Amino acid sequence: MTPGSLLLEAQHVTQRFRLPNGQVLEALRDVSLAVHEHEVVALVGPSGCGKSTLLRLFAGLARPAEGTVLYRGQRLDGVLGAAAMVFQSFALLPWLTVAENVAMGLEARGVDGAARRDAVARAVNLVGLDGFEQAYPKELSGGMKQRVGFARALAVAPEILLMDEPFGALDPLTTENLRSQVVDLWRDPATGVNTLVIVTHSVEEAVFLAGRIVVFGSNPGHVREELENSLPYPRQERSPEFEAMVDRLHAILTATLLPETAPAAPQRLVPFPRVHVSEVTGLLDHLLTRPDGKGPVFELAEDLGVDYDRMSAVVRGAEQLGWVNTPGEIVQLTQAGRDVMAMDDDARKDATRTRLAKQPLFGRLLAMLKEEGTVEDEEVLADLTIYFPFIPAQSLFDTIIEWGRYAELLDHDADAARLALLGWEGAAEARVE
Amino acid sequence: MKRSFRRIGLADVAILCLLGGVIAGVVAFAREFRAPLAEAVRIDLRFGALPRYALFSLSRGVTALVISYLFALGFGWAAAKSRAAERLLLPLLDILQSIPVLGFLPGLVLGLMSLFPTRNVGLELAAILMIFTAQAWNLALSFYSSLKSLPVPLRDACQVAGWRASRTFWELEVPAAAQGLVWNGMLSMAGGWFFLMVNEAFRLGGRDYRLPGIGSYMSVALDQGNVPAMALAIFAMVAMIVCLDQLLWRPLVVWVEKFRLDESGGGPAPSSWVLEFLRRARLPRRAAMLQLRAYRSARQAARPLERPFRAVGPVILRAPRRAFEHPIARKVGAGLLAAAIAALGALGAWRLWLLVGRLGWAEWGELLAAAALTFSRVMGAVFLSTAWALPAGVVIGRSPRLARALQPVIQVVASFPAPMLFPLVILLFERIGIGLGIGAVALMVLAGQWYILFNVISAVAAIPQQLKDATAAFRLRRLARWRVLYLPAAFPALVTGWVTAAGGAWNGSIVAEYIDAGGALRTTRGLGSLISDATAHANFPLLAGGIALMSLIVVGWNRVVWHSMMEWARSRFGLVQ
Repeated sequence: MTPGSLLLEAQHVTQRFRLPNGQVLEALRDVSLAVHEHEVVALVGPSGCGKSTLLRLFAGLARPAEGTVLYRGQRLDGVLGAAAMVFQSFALLPWLTVAENVAMGLEARGVDGAARRDAVARAVNLVGLDGFEQAYPKELSGGMKQRVGFARALAVAPEILLMDEPFGALDPLTTENLRSQVVDLWRDPATGVNTLVIVTHSVEEAVFLAGRIVVFGSNPGHVREELENSLPYPRQERSPEFEAMVDRLHAILTATLLPETAPAAPQRLVPFPRVHVSEVTGLLDHLLTRPDGKGPVFELAEDLGVDYDRMSAVVRGAEQLGWVNTPGEIVQLTQAGRDVMAMDDDARKDATRTRLAKQPLFGRLLAMLKEEGTVEDEEVLADLTIYFPFIPAQSLFDTIIEWGRYAELLDHDADAARLALLGWEGAAEARVE
Repeated sequence: MKRSFRRIGLADVAILCLLGGVIAGVVAFAREFRAPLAEAVRIDLRFGALPRYALFSLSRGVTALVISYLFALGFGWAAAKSRAAERLLLPLLDILQSIPVLGFLPGLVLGLMSLFPTRNVGLELAAILMIFTAQAWNLALSFYSSLKSLPVPLRDACQVAGWRASRTFWELEVPAAAQGLVWNGMLSMAGGWFFLMVNEAFRLGGRDYRLPGIGSYMSVALDQGNVPAMALAIFAMVAMIVCLDQLLWRPLVVWVEKFRLDESGGGPAPSSWVLEFLRRARLPRRAAMLQLRAYRSARQAARPLERPFRAVGPVILRAPRRAFEHPIARKVGAGLLAAAIAALGALGAWRLWLLVGRLGWAEWGELLAAAALTFSRVMGAVFLSTAWALPAGVVIGRSPRLARALQPVIQVVASFPAPMLFPLVILLFERIGIGLGIGAVALMVLAGQWYILFNVISAVAAIPQQLKDATAAFRLRRLARWRVLYLPAAFPALVTGWVTAAGGAWNGSIVAEYIDAGGALRTTRGLGSLISDATAHANFPLLAGGIALMSLIVVGWNRVVWHSMMEWARSRFGLVQ
C-alpha cells in the first residue's frame, strides 16, 4: 500500500510538563511530523524523548503548549474521533467484562443495540478472543489482556490506530505472535484501520512493522532522523534485507544515543548518565568475556537482556569514567577498564574516586564542598535544574549520591538533607594529575 | 439466554420483608418529622418503644450518610479537577475535620428553628447536619485521593472511547474509588454515632430540646437514674451497630472487591453471608428487569419532551462552558468567586470578632487556663491510649489469625458511641473515689483509643512476611524484634492514629468534662466544660470564644507538631522504598 493523502500533522509542536517538585520539563521542542493515509509510522528513541507525548497529542488527549496538530487539515480540538488507542498497560476497566470493555467506544459513536453486539463480536473474533466475552480482565493473561485492548480499538473501526508500546509489558513469545497479527489487521481491509502510528522500544519491532521510522533524540525531545523502510510485507526477520535495515537503524540510533564526543570545551558540564554502579561493572564484566573485550551496543543489550536505551546509558557512564571507548556502535573495553576489573574492591573504589573527580559535574560539586564543607541538598538540586533543565533533577541527584558514596567521595545525610565531603586525598590526587 | 423459573425462596421473602420495613420506617420517620414542636418530646422508657427509637436514630444516621456521600463526590471531584479549587478546598477540609463541630450545634439549632418555628423540622435538620459534619470529611478526602491516584492510561482510554465526563465519572471514577468510599463510609457511620446523645437531647439556655431516638432515650434514662432502661439503650445501640455491620457494610465490602484496581489481591477475600444470600436470590434479578422496563417506558413517555429539551439543553449546558473557555471570562469568573469567598470569610470573621469582643480580660484568662488543663488531659489520654493500644495492636496485627478473628469485634466495639458510657463510667469512678478532673482523661481515652489500635493493627499486618522471617532467621530476641521491626514499622501509622485520637479527645472533652447523670451535674475545670456550660446558659460570646480557641489549638497543633512528625515518620520509617 502506498501512502496517500495527508492525515495527521504536527506543526512546530512544543510540550512542557511541571514535575511535582516544581521543575518544568520540556518534553518536546519544535517537533514537526506528518502521517499519511495507509502508512505505518514507528516512533523510536530513548526514554524521555517525548515520543509517547507526541502520540497523546495526535490522539487529542493533550493540547500542545505551542504549535498545532492538524487532522486532514483541520486543527484538532479535543479527542480525535477517527483514532483509537492501544496502551502499554492495557488500560482495561477491571470491573467490566471483556465484551463491555470492547464496547467502551461504541456508544459514543452512536452504535447501539444489535449493531453494537455485532461490532463487539467482530472485534473479539478478529483478535481470537471468542469464548472470553464474559470474562473479567483479571482472569486473563497479559497477552490476552492486550488482545482485549486491540479488540476495543478495532471495534470502533478507526481510521488511525495509535499504539503506545503495545507489546512493552508482554513476554517475547506473545509479542512475536501479536506483532504479526497487527500487520495482518492493518492489511485486512475489513478492519477499516488503514494507518498505524506505533511508539516502540524495539528496533526489530519498528523494522518489522513500519514503513517509516522516526528517530527521536532527547533533552528535549526532537526528531533526529526519518528512515524509509520499503521492505515488502509480510517481512521475514531472518532475511538479509531485514537485517540490513535493522543495522541501518542501529547506526542512526547509536549516533543519537552515543554521540561522538566533541573534543572541545572539556570544562563544559555534562550530566552523568543515571545508571547504577553495579550496571557499569556488570557491563565491564560482560565485555571481559567477549573476544577482544568488545561488541556492538545492540548485541550487548540483547545479550544482557536490557533495552538499547538503558544499555547506551550504561555505556555512556562507563565511557565518562574512561573504562570503555565507543568507536561507532562498537563498545571497546579500554586498558583502564581491564585494570579496574582486575583490582580488589578497595583499589577499585580508589580508581573510581580518581576518575569521578575528573568528571566535570562531580568536579564542580567537589569544589563547592571543599569551599563550604557541607552543601544543602536544595542548593545542589537548584544548580542541577539550572544546568540540566531537561533532566529530572532529583533522579540525577540520586545518581550522584550513589556514585559518590560508592567511591567514598562524599556522604549524604538524608535526615539533615545535606552533602558532605569524604576521601579528601583521593580527590586531591585527582586534581594534581 | 437460558431461562429457568424457580419458585420464590426464603431469600426473596426476607428481601420483601426488608423492603416493607424500610418503607414503614420512612413513613414513620416522615410523620414524626412533621410533628408539631412540643418542647421536650416525652420519651417512653418502655422496652416496646425502643425499636421505634432505634429506627429514628438509624434514619438520621443514614440520611446524613447519604448527604455525606453526595457532598464527598462533589467536593472530591471539584478538588481533583481544578487546581484553584484544590488549593482552597484541601486546607478547608483539613480544618473542618479537626475542629470541634459540637460547638456549632447551638447556633445551628437556633438558626434552623427560626426557619421552621412550628415544626420539629429545624431540630431534625440540625441533628442530621451535626451527624453529617462527623461523617463527611474523610469520605471527601478518600474520594479526592482516589481520583488523584487514578492511572492516566485509564483516563485516556475513556477519553479515546469518547465517553462524556458524566459517564467517565460514574463508570470510571466512582467505581475506582468505591473501595475507599465503602471503608470510609463504615468509619463515618461510627463517627456519626459519637454525639448521638447530645444531638438528640441537649439543653440550651434552660430549654430542653429533644428528638425521639436512642440517644434521647439514654439521656432520659440517665436523668431518672433508671438502670434497666440504660442497659436497654446500650443493648439497642449494640444491636443496631451489629445489624448495620452485617446487613449493610459486610456485603458492601465484599461487593466492592470487584472494583479493585490492582489485581494482586492482598490476603484472603472477605466474605459476607448476607451477600451470598442475596446473590442466590432470584428476586433482585427480576427487580432489575422490572426496573429496566420501567426505565424504558419512562423514556418513551418522555419522548415528546425530549425535542424541546434537545433544542434548549445545549444552550443551557454549553453556553457557560463555552463562555468559560475564554481566558478573560475565566479570569473574571475566578476573580469574582475569590472575591465572594473572601467577602464571606471577612463577614464571618467580623461577626465572630463582634461576638468575642464582648469578652473581658478575666474571661480570656479563664479560657486560656481552662485550655491548658484540657490540653494536658488530651495529651494524657493520647499517652494512656498508646500505652495499651500499641502493644495490643502489635500483638493482634502480628498474627493473621488473631487479626481475622478480632477485627470484626473491634470494629463493632469501636463504633459504639463512647459518650453514652461516660455517665456510667463516672458513676463507677465516684464509687472508688476518683474525681472528674482525672476521670475525664479516662473518658477521653474511651473517645480516642480505637484510632490508635486500628492504625497499629493494619500497619503491623502489612509488614512483609520476609522481614518477619529475617528477624526470625537471625534469631532476634522478642525485645529486639519489637525494637527493630514492629515498633518502627508501626510508627507512621501510630502518628496518624495520634492525630485522630487527639481530635477525638478534644471533641470528647466537651461531653467528658460536663456530665449530667442521675439528676446531678458534675463538671471539672476545662475548655470542654466551659463550652458546655456556655451552651447550657446561652452565653454566646463565651461559647464562640471557647470554640474559636479550641479550633485554633487543634489546627495549630496539627499543622506544627503532628504534621512535621508525620513527615519525619514517613521518610524515616516508611516501608515503601
